[in-house]
Amino acid sequence: MNPDNKFRILIIDDELPVRRFLQTILEGEFTLHLAENGHSGLAAAAATKPDVILLDLGLPDLDGIEVLKRIREWSAVPIIVLSVREREDDKVAALDAGADDYLTKPFGVGELQARIRAALRRTLQQTPEPLFVSGDLTVELSERRVTCQGVEISLTPTEYDILRLLVTHAGKVLTHNQILKQVWGLGYLEQPHVLRVNISNLRRKIEADTSRPQHIITEPGVGYRLRIAS
Amino acid sequence: MKSSPLFSGYPGAVALVALASLACELVRPHLVPTNMVMAYLLVVVVAAVQLGLKPAILTAFLSVVAFDVLFVPPRFSLRVSDTEYLITFFALFIVGVVISTLVAKIQEKIDLAKNQEARTNSLYLLTRDLSAAVDINDIAEALQRAVLKNLNARLLLLLQQDGSLEQLPCNDSFELDDDGEAIARWVMQSGRLAGIGTAAFADAANLFVPIKSGTNVTAVMVLEGSETTMAGDLRLIEAFAGQAAMALERIQFSRQAEEARLQLNKHYLEQALLNSISHDLRTPLVTISGVLDSLKESGQWFDTEKRQTMLSIAADEAGRLNRFVGSLLDMTRLEAGALSPHLQECEVDELIGCAIGAIESRAGDHRIVTLVAPNLPPLLADLTLLTQALVNLLDNALKYSPSSAEITLAARCEGSEVVISVADSGPGIPASDEQRIFDKFYRVTVPEQSSGTGLGLSIAKGIIEAHGGTITATNRSEGGLLVTVRLPVEQDSRDREETT
Repeated sequence: MNPDNKFRILIIDDELPVRRFLQTILEGEFTLHLAENGHSGLAAAAATKPDVILLDLGLPDLDGIEVLKRIREWSAVPIIVLSVREREDDKVAALDAGADDYLTKPFGVGELQARIRAALRRTLQQTPEPLFVSGDLTVELSERRVTCQGVEISLTPTEYDILRLLVTHAGKVLTHNQILKQVWGLGYLEQPHVLRVNISNLRRKIEADTSRPQHIITEPGVGYRLRIAS
Repeated sequence: MKSSPLFSGYPGAVALVALASLACELVRPHLVPTNMVMAYLLVVVVAAVQLGLKPAILTAFLSVVAFDVLFVPPRFSLRVSDTEYLITFFALFIVGVVISTLVAKIQEKIDLAKNQEARTNSLYLLTRDLSAAVDINDIAEALQRAVLKNLNARLLLLLQQDGSLEQLPCNDSFELDDDGEAIARWVMQSGRLAGIGTAAFADAANLFVPIKSGTNVTAVMVLEGSETTMAGDLRLIEAFAGQAAMALERIQFSRQAEEARLQLNKHYLEQALLNSISHDLRTPLVTISGVLDSLKESGQWFDTEKRQTMLSIAADEAGRLNRFVGSLLDMTRLEAGALSPHLQECEVDELIGCAIGAIESRAGDHRIVTLVAPNLPPLLADLTLLTQALVNLLDNALKYSPSSAEITLAARCEGSEVVISVADSGPGIPASDEQRIFDKFYRVTVPEQSSGTGLGLSIAKGIIEAHGGTITATNRSEGGLLVTVRLPVEQDSRDREETT
């Protein structure tokens, strides 16, 4: 945080109208730094030490994914990807390369602000809250206790591991590979059906209606996200 | 010429004369020699009918000799005691020759007529087969049959395509060597007959016949058979070629007509597409830029509430524009074949959840009711695409439903298929349009509703079909439209589900 008590945001986008638009909606709340291509973005990331980076994937000089990887080599700063590319492969590539979140252009202002705040919240809170409450779901990480509508739910160790992972990244999309790697290990990367079956079982235990999930949301082709109910 | 197996040619002539002589010998005690001439005349007639002209003349000659030697005194000598017999000999010979000639001519005419009838008949049969032909292969088969039946020859059909000849793959054909191909090319260029029994390339093994449409050679028939039958029936073969030419021409014309019709259709479609795209892209922009302009120029004249209303209208239109561009992109990907499903196992539950999650914000006061059968087998599908398809179906249902109406999204298993259906209570569709509803830019005309792009259902159909499924639409008896999607369940995914 800088002297005037505002978080710093670095915006890397080659489109001037988009930079101006982001500047207009964000400059009241945050201190902004702007970069118009990949190389100046990398330099600015090192120089300004931002708290959040908003990164466009379609940069003229460097591919956005490349910028992402280079920043990740030395920094864990939250990076939110903004892109017109709506193909799931691109999303997965960005998330697997270390992006914290992904927003497809055009996006709503409220949506962007919420994602920035969520990213900031996750970085500030190094050790996760031991108690997660969202709607009718409560997860007490310290006790390994899960209750739904006040009733304690019994989960298999794997189901609990998945839920714990989602809880510690609540609000953020986790790709299939990220979950498989963390819960089962690298050897399971090519077995997405293991994850699918476990998510399905988990939903049956914590969702009132599995065809209208309120907690574990599928991001088609990308992964899963635990919704934080307001 | 026909000839009976018993009396054939010149031996037959000798045998007939011997027979006549034997008969005369038997009745010799009761007859004067002059009357025996009748018996000899009889066998000359038989010879003329049965053996042909030359054996008949031989018969006449032998009859004279036999009559002289056997019955005219002095017997067993060529000498003649009574010179009157010389007149008998002369008359017997002349009458024999005249009868032979006349009978042979008649026989020839009969044979010709029979031959003619056979040709007419085979041409008729070929014409009948050719007129029933719907493609070039049918023509080749009909020709093959005709050639085999009438000439006992095998046929190869070479089709002219952009100046070169291509062999039609047909059963029971033979290979053409390099020389044969060169001759075929010559026939194509010159438009003349060639090969065995003709003036050009007479030493070739086959007969090459051009099939001409006007002065243009459209195909070349190559016949493999005996030289004599083919040379004798050249006119028949050419008649076959003429019939084949007409059939080929007919098929070519009908193909051209079909192509022209498709081209015209495509043209109309493209026109409709352009009109629709420009309309759908511009309409939201009118509102958006109108709102922005008025706020920029004279924003201070509007109160907060008014400004909010204008802005939310503009925002809605921007959302619509974004969805339309998305649909256009989907459509383009579908048509470019770039949309290849990335198949993975997924739960029907999950699919429905994703679709409802994506559409919920647009549902307004409509209620989406889900009826999902328990324990459905997982689908092998591209979840993203299938979600998009389902969203498009729901979007369509929302658009055409009266406000606060119920939309039912149901899923069940039927045999080896998962059946997902979306039922609304809108106006349905005209009965004749149950298939057209999935055409690009098809829209049911509903007054005051123009927000559809006419692309959604067509995209959904493309996606469902890319998954090996089917999609149909019917009007519900209680009113509204029922769209049914059937997706195949992979048998092994079902097995795996049971073991996990």
